[in-house]
Amino acid sequence: MGKRVGIIGAGVTPFKGTWREKTYYELAQMAAREAVKDAQIDIHDVDAAFYGIYNDIFERAAIPEHAIHGLLGMQNKFGIRITNGGATGAYTMSAAHAYLAAGRFKTALVLGVEKATDCFDFSSMSATPEVIKSIGWSADSFFEQGIGWSASDSYAEVVLGYMDEYPGDLKPEVTAQISSQLSQQVRSNPYAQRQFDQVTPEEVMNSRLVAYPFKELEICVYTEGAAAVIFAEEETAKAISRNSGKPVVWITGVGEANEHSFAGKNQKVMSRIMSDYYGSHRAYEMAGIKDPKEAIDIVELHDAFVHQLEISMAEFGLVPLGKADALIEEGLMTPGGQYVVNPCGGLIYCGHAVGASNIMSAWSARNELIKRKLKTALVHGTGSTVAQYTTCLILEHA
Amino acid sequence: MPMDKEKVIPSKYIPEVGSHIETINGKDYLITNDAMYTFYQRTKGEFSPFFLAIRDEKRLLGCKCSKCSLVRVPPFLTHCPDCNFAPTELIEVEQVGIMNTTPPITYFATSLFQDMAPYGRGRVIFRGADTAMSVNLYTTTGILVPGIIKKGTEVKLVFRDERIGEMTDVFCVPTAELSQEQINKKGLQESEIDWESPVEPEMPDVTAEDSSRYRDALEEMKTIIEQMNRNERAKKDIAGWKRGILVKTKGGAFTIFIDDGDIRVEEVQVSSPDFIMVCEDPRTLLDGLAYRGAITDSVINKKLWISKNTEFNTIFKLDRMARSVARSKKT
Repeated sequence: MGKRVGIIGAGVTPFKGTWREKTYYELAQMAAREAVKDAQIDIHDVDAAFYGIYNDIFERAAIPEHAIHGLLGMQNKFGIRITNGGATGAYTMSAAHAYLAAGRFKTALVLGVEKATDCFDFSSMSATPEVIKSIGWSADSFFEQGIGWSASDSYAEVVLGYMDEYPGDLKPEVTAQISSQLSQQVRSNPYAQRQFDQVTPEEVMNSRLVAYPFKELEICVYTEGAAAVIFAEEETAKAISRNSGKPVVWITGVGEANEHSFAGKNQKVMSRIMSDYYGSHRAYEMAGIKDPKEAIDIVELHDAFVHQLEISMAEFGLVPLGKADALIEEGLMTPGGQYVVNPCGGLIYCGHAVGASNIMSAWSARNELIKRKLKTALVHGTGSTVAQYTTCLILEHA
Repeated sequence: MPMDKEKVIPSKYIPEVGSHIETINGKDYLITNDAMYTFYQRTKGEFSPFFLAIRDEKRLLGCKCSKCSLVRVPPFLTHCPDCNFAPTELIEVEQVGIMNTTPPITYFATSLFQDMAPYGRGRVIFRGADTAMSVNLYTTTGILVPGIIKKGTEVKLVFRDERIGEMTDVFCVPTAELSQEQINKKGLQESEIDWESPVEPEMPDVTAEDSSRYRDALEEMKTIIEQMNRNERAKKDIAGWKRGILVKTKGGAFTIFIDDGDIRVEEVQVSSPDFIMVCEDPRTLLDGLAYRGAITDSVINKKLWISKNTEFNTIFKLDRMARSVARSKKT
């Protein structure tokens, strides 16, 4: 068993559709400044940096983190970049946790940044088709890129596979209600891209099909922004906490899994997100959680799509597979229900600044645990083709 | 479905060298046109026999593990990781298969595939194979809509007339839309299939009630379009975009002009529109513009006909404008 690791500071930039006023250098520094200020430490007290940046094409540089390192005052120290599709942020936290638990460092800055919407399609004179094109380069390049693979159609494959298996679940009325609820929750997040974009279930139902079965208001939005958390090993964390007066939120469990990326016999099970199942259950095991339904209070879930949010909750063991609509129909995630799910508005309303998103989720989970005086949160990241990658972290507030 | 393959990057995607300024809170910020490009002579390596068989022989190959006999199509490995890397051998499989799962349909495509949308992409287990191959899916009957191809639907592999040794050389259609002879034929080509061509719907005779309904709808539409024209967010949705759209309804016809951030409606019928919209009930379009339902979905549900599928792009922009106006009212 390694050393205990906790979060002792966190900060985010505003998440915006586009930041014309800032480059990703400045966005990264903004989040880092907020995080060290929150921890009440100096950046020179940080031993190592872990960068979560998903896509070289967004940043228009093949080693986008190299300039950031010195701009943050981390020169001559350990710095590593993690890139794991949509799960980049969560995997970056997993890596930082492992180094600190192993005793390599006492403190680490975990920073995610993304400048997605500089990508611009001059044929349609809009950004989004080019943003999703750049993500399209993530697909298998021999067999799938050329035939129109996209993040949406790839996740839709899994959702439709689930719906083939459980035709009565993921009802449009329920997915619409979840989206509407998230749009209400985002109101209290001043950093969110869509803080004041409250929608009714009817609006969600009426929004246009983007990729069947996903409607526009059931999909995350692309975002520019950065998020940072500061991790410390136990003794250092306690010392910093005494100084700052802010409690340590401990990372008691971490679990990861990457599935097959092709389908069929002995390949990816298309009706499941097994990476979510393995990732969450490995994290529970490490945290000593026997019954997640009892233990988990808050879930900060990577909701790339509302339908996938429901399936992920089922894979986490928080609602039965095939009956994920109970999240709404039995009030499991409605206000006052058993679980607080995505109080920040999730990636659909707070925004999806890919490498920063899961770190923003950890920022939110940590804040909510402290504010609501709750004990345990699950933070989740999903990514790659057919929801292939997952990392889950268990956060605990004593 | 011809594809422009003259250049690796079609010229329409390439911007001119240039820059512009955006002013935010009184400060100027510079934005430059740019690109990050790399050209390749791409190795197909161990996949060469698979792509050459498609291109030159109209055959479909997989690989069979010498130990567990699992047949993978496409043959994406030479040694089986499930059998401690036992060698595999190439075998031919049949060109009819079933859908592994219900396929998604992309209506809003990436910039690379906007000319191809709407399209299905799904995974087919061909007879003789154990794993599923990812292919494009089409219907011979027009726009692909949910319900035509589902899990278990039998589909036929079809070869394009011009093939270059890529996955775009093949696609699938439901066997239910083909003759038995076509289903049985090995190496069926797209030119051997009767594709339903888009035919402009005929308009029924007009009654006085239709004319009155048209007038009411048009007046309301003009009001909404004026609102769009006053809305900064909506104007941004059509920045740099130019279109003349001839709209035909049961009660009358008119033209919507989009011109780089401006939109207007005029009761004229332009002779060379960029595309034509036909909706029997003018309220179908009106409801979309008024954010009471998506125009995209009306096209998919066949309540509104468009003469060019590539103009889904413009439809998305109109839907976007409707949402922008609605969103601005909330804030």
